[in-house]
Amino acid sequence: MSAFDDLQKHYRQRDLAARQWKKEGGKVVGYFCDNVPEEFILVAGLFPLRLSGDPWGDTERIGNYSEQGNVFSREGFVASMLHMILNGKYDFLDYLIIPHARDSIHRLYTTLINLKETDPTLKIPELSYLDNLHTTFYSAGIYNRDRWFGLKKQLEEWTDKEITNERLSQAVAVTNESKRLLKELAALRATDPPLVSGVDALQIIGSSMFMLKEEHNKLLKEYLTGVGQLPARNGARLFVEGSPLDNLQFYEIIESCGATVVAEDNCWGNRIFDVPIDMASDPLEAIIDRYNNKAPCSRMYPLSRRIEYCLRNALESKAQGVIFNIYRFDDIQAWETPDEIKELKEKGIPTLYLKDQPYLIAEPEALKTKIEEFVQGI
Amino acid sequence: MVSEQSSGKQLRITNEVRAYQREWIEKTRQRVSEGEPFAICNGDDCEEILNVMDIPVIVINYWHAIITTKRMADYYLDILRERDYPATVFSMGLAVTMDNKPDVAPWGGLPKPSIIIGGARQDTEMRIMELWAREYGCIFWPMEFALYHGVEKAPPPGWFERMRDHWDEFVDPQKLDYRVQEQEKLIRYLEVSTGKKFSLEKLTEAMQLVNEQMDYWRMARDLIAKTSPSPVTLRDQLSMYQTTWHRGTPQGRDFLKAYYEEVKERVENSVAACPEEKIRLMWVNALGTPPLWGRWAEEKYGAVCVTHNYMGIAVDCYARTIQNNDPLRTLAARYMLLFWTTPDWIAAQAKHSNCKAAVMVGGRRSIMAFEKAGIPLATIPSERDDEATRAALSDFIETRLLA
Ligand code: SF4
Repeated sequence: MSAFDDLQKHYRQRDLAARQWKKEGGKVVGYFCDNVPEEFILVAGLFPLRLSGDPWGDTERIGNYSEQGNVFSREGFVASMLHMILNGKYDFLDYLIIPHARDSIHRLYTTLINLKETDPTLKIPELSYLDNLHTTFYSAGIYNRDRWFGLKKQLEEWTDKEITNERLSQAVAVTNESKRLLKELAALRATDPPLVSGVDALQIIGSSMFMLKEEHNKLLKEYLTGVGQLPARNGARLFVEGSPLDNLQFYEIIESCGATVVAEDNCWGNRIFDVPIDMASDPLEAIIDRYNNKAPCSRMYPLSRRIEYCLRNALESKAQGVIFNIYRFDDIQAWETPDEIKELKEKGIPTLYLKDQPYLIAEPEALKTKIEEFVQGI
Repeated sequence: MVSEQSSGKQLRITNEVRAYQREWIEKTRQRVSEGEPFAICNGDDCEEILNVMDIPVIVINYWHAIITTKRMADYYLDILRERDYPATVFSMGLAVTMDNKPDVAPWGGLPKPSIIIGGARQDTEMRIMELWAREYGCIFWPMEFALYHGVEKAPPPGWFERMRDHWDEFVDPQKLDYRVQEQEKLIRYLEVSTGKKFSLEKLTEAMQLVNEQMDYWRMARDLIAKTSPSPVTLRDQLSMYQTTWHRGTPQGRDFLKAYYEEVKERVENSVAACPEEKIRLMWVNALGTPPLWGRWAEEKYGAVCVTHNYMGIAVDCYARTIQNNDPLRTLAARYMLLFWTTPDWIAAQAKHSNCKAAVMVGGRRSIMAFEKAGIPLATIPSERDDEATRAALSDFIETRLLA
């Protein structure tokens, strides 16, 4: 099995490594989003697993739960994750950390707390809420710092083990190495012509959140050594901006039109490894600082930061066109889109705005035609 | 008995409130044209602070209600769609500004604000308010600790009975510290930028006025609760809610006093809002609007919605006892937690108003929770007055209430 096959296997069977870990007596911490410091979890000797949804899975189970008071779990991927928790797909989790991210994620915390009380038959792991503020002001940094300290303490309590600076440094070395390797991968996409497809890249990036980092680094290194022999790709270079993409469907459609996704701005793609942790500083402070100042998602203030990020990354990837893929109900993403389109137009970059997209693309052919037309026009 | 519907008579006070609002906006426009500051903020965010500083403020919820009442919602939602923005009720005010047509806008549009304050209650709020400020060319002031941010635990049973005096039990004290600091920063900014002064003494007065205002509300609510048929339509009761945007002012208090007196007068004169009332119901929705199917249910079954969850918000949640002589912290706690919509609270309100059931859009889980809290719940598929809604209501009334 090649390194890529192995990575792909973990992307497809997302709970494989975590279940194996569990079988060997370890404990697993699930988390949402890309702003929970996995370094803390690793140092605590726990397995960090980022939760994702399943567009092909049904969401029937949450029908009973997604009514009044829970009107916020509307984005398909959030509804799907809630469903999977309730349905027992994540029943091997020992703990679940829920960050104060987008509204629907943040509200999963109260939803799950309430469900734990009202329906004891549900197997819901022990929950921890990681608050943080949606600005990067000085005072917000101070507040967030306290919250991260709180999370560290929580993990210490869960494991009855102290999280020392020395071990944090080791974990930072591993996660920084991961970021560095993933940047090499990004460079292979951004080069002209690109050497790696978006579909492959998304799997490699995604699997880093479903495996232990050291294991992933090893496979990724192996993959990167052999990648020089890959055939160069032709066709249009596209940048994808928009809602979280925790599955391949969208990229598969784009790349079946002969184009290549050379970079993206979403929390399952390049955004997760953009900002490394400063190894020269105190590791605890450096980790906190990194999560405070990492590449922003759309819920963050101010808008200019988001626009700058989108524009810079689209330009750096030498994209010939940008596709905006915005899920239905992902309003926070939709609010920034008109400004991003305007800025890109001013730079002469054509855009395709796909709004109100379903989580599961039910009519791939129609979407393909739209994208083909766009690509031909470039 | 005199039927309000047949005589077409509304409460006098609701017209007075409306007239006052109109006058208030004209006066504000005048003041702004003379160089005075003007602010826009979200509901339950900073109103008392601005009022105490004598900075006129419009609460966007109220502005949106005006737009909707003037039947301009579709027009402004289209403005948003044309610009590729999500067409949501919360952004209609922004659309009015984008459209920039004073001859078309309700009230001729708002005067230009000096500041727009936006909180983190929802992801999109900060962004929409940020864009709105950009559109006006005024300062945007983000508040990071907004309603419900201070709360991470499930609400304890009976919380609503302790909220007024023991609010400190429900809000995380550390987060509350931050919210207080945030308010102080805002106050400093306003003092520097407008030359106006803030005073704790005035804030104490204002909060006492809020409490008085809500006490009148409670008294009126209690009269309505024990009078059958109800003396006041739900529409009129709800239209008093706009006075919550004048919280902490003598005017706000006086409106509620007049409301209470008018309700009392009606009770004494046996005036019935819906004389055919046979079944009393409680209507629960998020927008604070009367049910669209109200007339139908009344005519068909004599089923009348005599109260609404918003009445509970007014009487159980706004009034707060100042603790430790610190009105700013007391207020901060209310800005961080106004209420939880829990079944036990809704059930308590429904029972208090002698309702046989509550009605809301919902499903099986809500029904279970409400039954557990001791009140039957009729769930309807949507807020629309359509066949599906009527069928669900008919079924519930006939099988649960009349059988
Ligand atoms: S965009 Fe941000 S808030 Fe939304 S899922 Fe991704 S990390 Fe979470």
